[in-house]
Amino acid sequence: MILPAVFLLSFSSLAFEVLLTRVFSISQWNHLSFMVISIGLFGFAASGTFLSISESKQFRWHRYISVKIPVTLLIIGYSASAVVSFILSNRIPLDYFRIPLEFNQSFYLLTAYLLLSLPFFFTGLTVCSAYAFLPEKTGAVYLATMTGAALGAFFPIPLLAILGLERSVFVSALIPLIILPFNASGCLKRLFLGVSVPIVATIAVLFVFSPITYVSPSPYKSLSQMLRFPDTEITETSTTLRGRMDEVKSPYIRFAPGLSLKYTEQLPRQHAIFKDGDSPLTLYDIRSPSDLDFAEFTLPYSGYFLNPRPASVLLLINGGGTSIPCALASRAQKIVIVEQHPFSAIRIQSQYGLTVIAENPRTFISNAGEKYSIIHIEDWGPSLPGTAALDQSHLFTLRAFRDYMDHLQSEGVIILSRKLLLPPSDSLRLWATAYEALKAGGSKAPEQHMAVLRNWDTFTLLISKTPIRNSEKIRSFARNLNFDLVYLPDLTQKETNRYNEFDRPYHYEAISRLKASYGSGEEKRFFQTYLLDVSPQSDDRPFPSRFLKWTRILDQYKSMGSRFYSLFLSGEVIVGVVFLEALFISILLLLIPVSGLLKRSGKPAAHAVLFFTGIGFGFMFIELYFIKAFTLLFGDPVISLTVVLTGILVYSGAGGFCSKYIGYRNLGIFILALVVILLMSFYGLRILLGYIVGQSEVIRYLTAFLVLLPFGFLMGIPFPLGMQFLLLNPAHRAYGWAVNGCASVLTSILSVQIALSFGIAYILVCAVAAYGLVYISCRRRR
Amino acid sequence: MKRFGFALLSTLMISALFPYPALGDSMDIEAFRNRMVDQQIRKRGVEDTRVMNAMSQVPRHRFVPKGRVSEAYADHPLPIGEGQTISQPYIVALMTERLKLTGGERVLEIGTGSGYQAAILAEVAKEVFTMEIKKGLHERSTETLKSLKFNNIRTRHGDGYFGWEEFAPFDAIMITAAVNHIPPPLLKQLKNGGRLILPLGNPFHFQHLTLVTKKGEDYNVKQITGVLFVPMTGHAMDRSQ
Repeated sequence: MILPAVFLLSFSSLAFEVLLTRVFSISQWNHLSFMVISIGLFGFAASGTFLSISESKQFRWHRYISVKIPVTLLIIGYSASAVVSFILSNRIPLDYFRIPLEFNQSFYLLTAYLLLSLPFFFTGLTVCSAYAFLPEKTGAVYLATMTGAALGAFFPIPLLAILGLERSVFVSALIPLIILPFNASGCLKRLFLGVSVPIVATIAVLFVFSPITYVSPSPYKSLSQMLRFPDTEITETSTTLRGRMDEVKSPYIRFAPGLSLKYTEQLPRQHAIFKDGDSPLTLYDIRSPSDLDFAEFTLPYSGYFLNPRPASVLLLINGGGTSIPCALASRAQKIVIVEQHPFSAIRIQSQYGLTVIAENPRTFISNAGEKYSIIHIEDWGPSLPGTAALDQSHLFTLRAFRDYMDHLQSEGVIILSRKLLLPPSDSLRLWATAYEALKAGGSKAPEQHMAVLRNWDTFTLLISKTPIRNSEKIRSFARNLNFDLVYLPDLTQKETNRYNEFDRPYHYEAISRLKASYGSGEEKRFFQTYLLDVSPQSDDRPFPSRFLKWTRILDQYKSMGSRFYSLFLSGEVIVGVVFLEALFISILLLLIPVSGLLKRSGKPAAHAVLFFTGIGFGFMFIELYFIKAFTLLFGDPVISLTVVLTGILVYSGAGGFCSKYIGYRNLGIFILALVVILLMSFYGLRILLGYIVGQSEVIRYLTAFLVLLPFGFLMGIPFPLGMQFLLLNPAHRAYGWAVNGCASVLTSILSVQIALSFGIAYILVCAVAAYGLVYISCRRRR
Repeated sequence: MKRFGFALLSTLMISALFPYPALGDSMDIEAFRNRMVDQQIRKRGVEDTRVMNAMSQVPRHRFVPKGRVSEAYADHPLPIGEGQTISQPYIVALMTERLKLTGGERVLEIGTGSGYQAAILAEVAKEVFTMEIKKGLHERSTETLKSLKFNNIRTRHGDGYFGWEEFAPFDAIMITAAVNHIPPPLLKQLKNGGRLILPLGNPFHFQHLTLVTKKGEDYNVKQITGVLFVPMTGHAMDRSQ
């Protein structure tokens, strides 16, 4: 009974966890998805603490684990808590922007955190019991856990497409119940029927009245706002692992960022597709050529003005939508559109009858044999810029810019438009990225190739393959449409800040200083001393919307009018807050059982505690490294999460199973082997990923699974051997499980900050240190 | 909805704990109004004496719902029903001042709401044309303005996005609801040298109070301060309208 229960609960828990990342992506923001991993691990850690305490108080859990009732109750507890916590957490009015302002928001956050960790607590209790009381079956338990979890990570892919998000959560939560009838007899059967029938009946009712379980987007997201207008409705919804797409019709959609005030006619009718409730892709109803007139009045059109009637245009789209009318208005001979999400790609194709390729843009550009007259990249980011701080985007990295440059024709132009931020940040970073990409491409005077224009809330960066000779053309475009010039090779301050006035020409001044720094070779000093982090991003540190500098946080606080809440607009500050909370809870979870353990069973050996701490850190560091690194390959963090969890857990399961043949004596060799391949991977994987990003989908997936094989297998060996040979009794094993869980919780949060501050590859360095600790501590045996 | 309920409950409880002093006779009201002008407006840098005089004369408490009269001169906006608000006194003064009215202008206001802003404008301009999309508010504000004998104000029920072409062009236009773009039809109805002031930005987060000045064929845009207005509704983009 226990092994099938472990398998099914692990299966269901991982499916629930992956689905929760989708729920968080919609109901909060993508950058809070990392919290889901910590929630799951917190539940596991708490189960270890609970078991450790109950065992040290001689509750004699082991007497019951072999009989059926406790396992039956744990499964029912899991399913019931998963369903209830999902429904309740959806109804909690949690609004993390208000945490610094309202005390009750901290309470809501804690409640949501505890509620959602409850199902993981039941799973953890089952798995931990199996480890604690059946040490002879440790390898089999590990195999059941890992394979169950691996399959569970994969399960949401088909499930979401068939049932949608809310029903998928219910189905995944109820799956472990299928084991109960096989386990019931006599009074057990009556108990089973008495408990499970009402639960299943409730679920059935919820299916019918699903609106109460509907995952609503955050009220700050553009879909929530749009739906508050009358006569606005969602006409179609499609849910996959890549996101929930809602197609919305409304008479109020009026999207034309960077539109000049000189345009006084009406815009064409529009409708929009929202991804996870935000980042709308707007589709224009073009009935006659005059419907495209507005596009010629937008800032990005400056690129088409500079390079009129282009032979071929490549549009890389992630939301937005005005780039398409721009390209159409330019009368380009050929337009190729790359939009990663298949739902949006189909809609664009049917709306405009243009060629649309549904592919990771980086894969497309790496593969493309053709060169283009114009490459127009459109990605306006989320409706609240600070929330994108943790989002990985490989569209704006140095390598991406070099790829774009390589695919430009001789007179070609790259167009990039973004929201205008103050203090200057995004515009500076993109200017610097373009400068360095041009320099790396052999340009002797990169500053001669660029132009920046703005209105009151957006800016456009133009990067020309050849030096901009006719800057008068850009000047006249800006003058005629009342746009402001921010950068031109020969721009003077008098020409800036004329139509859309700030107190000072902040953006012009900042870019001029940056240009001067590059000229004198002191750009590093500029990036060090500037208020915000605006240095160019690489594929290893692909966070183009992250600007926070922890060392300057007080200055930044003052620059935002000394408003405490405004700091919380940055997702990165949330990471810090969550880490401190997790640290506090972890200390609590590890200290509570210690007094009991000392009294009854003696304290576990320090080296054993260090061993499981190291495994908790190391395993999670490697897992999170791959989730972040593979996002480049698949263009989507949730796909990456699914691939990595499936791969690593399957291979770890195999490693765990084989551990009994390896034996504790040889453990050190395998840990050393893991450390060696980690060190080799620090540089090797970066090169490999850069190479395979341009390969076909099949090759990318196959390579990903192959790369994960040695890591997963070796990572799976230490844990079961440690459980079996390093810990003396069930209470100690339960404590080891709690230690492992707490270390994993902290790592899941810590690695986010490491990636942001130093780069993704540095997570591997931390993994080396963690497994080094495991190696040292495994040299001593009980 | 629950959140709204919670916020409302909290506000009510706090209000119960710290009640505003009741507005009694006309002396009291005048004292409240003068204090409002002095503490909330003058001290924050509004200098135009015409605007200050208007704020001292117009009985703000007549434009707020009966249950809110005691808060009429408090330093915050107040709900007036139908999801709309009467703006904070300082914002009313600031927006009026930035239009630089001298007394001979024709002004268009989009979003009559309670009618208070129109009344202030009527004190400093020659003619005021004000539009409100919500019928209930339009009727109520028209009645209030009539009862206070503002004879230089014309009210109309309709979608302000398209302006009031019959009386265009205007010397000044004021939009008192949040919009994420500047409605092109209103720019068309602005005189050369005219000024348009509006809360520009995300209608559901916060906006920048923005002043647009028409100079010949060109427009100058200047952001003044951060504000929070209720969204502008209406069939803004419906071409069939």
